[in-house]
Amino acid sequence: MENVKKTGPEGLAGTDPESAFALLIEEQQRLVYSVALRLTGNTAAAEDITQETFIAAWRHIKDFRGESSLKTWLMRIAANKTRSYWRWKRLRSWVGLSDKGEDGEGAALEDLLPDDPAGRPEQAALAAELERRVQSAINALPPRQREVAVLRAQGLGLAEIGAALGMAEGTVKAHWFEARKKLGASLGEYL
Amino acid sequence: MNEEKESKLVSLLAARRSEAFWRRQKAGILRAAVEERGPRRAWLLAPAAALAALLVLVLVRNPSQPVLDEPQAVSAAFIEHLDLLDDMDVLEAVPEEEL
Repeated sequence: MENVKKTGPEGLAGTDPESAFALLIEEQQRLVYSVALRLTGNTAAAEDITQETFIAAWRHIKDFRGESSLKTWLMRIAANKTRSYWRWKRLRSWVGLSDKGEDGEGAALEDLLPDDPAGRPEQAALAAELERRVQSAINALPPRQREVAVLRAQGLGLAEIGAALGMAEGTVKAHWFEARKKLGASLGEYL
Repeated sequence: MNEEKESKLVSLLAARRSEAFWRRQKAGILRAAVEERGPRRAWLLAPAAALAALLVLVLVRNPSQPVLDEPQAVSAAFIEHLDLLDDMDVLEAVPEEEL
């Protein structure tokens, strides 16, 4: 988190803003993308949400008061954008525009391939299967449990999750308890 | 669930992508930041679209009744009464003084 603090508003004072922004992306993009991917189950939407989250953060960095960590702040933006995505999906469905032809339901194989070329085919197949199982287990959770589980998986504490999602800490704890139980049952063979 | 299992579960939920993917994504975000003034993603306009859809729904369900001019209503009633005149038996049964 020390590095993250360097990219906060106070860290920008003596730094070239573009370099600071690039550093922020470097440090946090995996986290933001993971949250967006697990909450939408759609790679194209996850890329869009990740991009929009960073652009929004950059646009409003002056409004960041430092009451929460930069990581929690980014998570809150990402969670809100994901909720907008689902509202948009529901609206499309309501007016009869289905998304059957929409791309992004699965990750491109080359993105799942390990960087080490050795043993690629087997590893790629295993990675793809694991990805499918994990996403399927998350999709089976009710929306609030899914949000809590996904943020918990990114290392956020219960209080931070509460701040990001606008929930009481006790509610977060209850959701995490239920989600953990269900995920444990679905993914037991990998644990 | 013990702590070891919980930490395994947490690591399972992370998205695994190649370094090339992360580099490509970072470049995309930086490029988008430069082009920020461009059009936004359509789904970010969802709240406005939802309001518009609601408005359409309300208008469809409660269409404003066409206001009929008073003379038209009178004319319609008058024509209906004229239709009664077709029944000449009625007319013939009415005493002449009452006509």
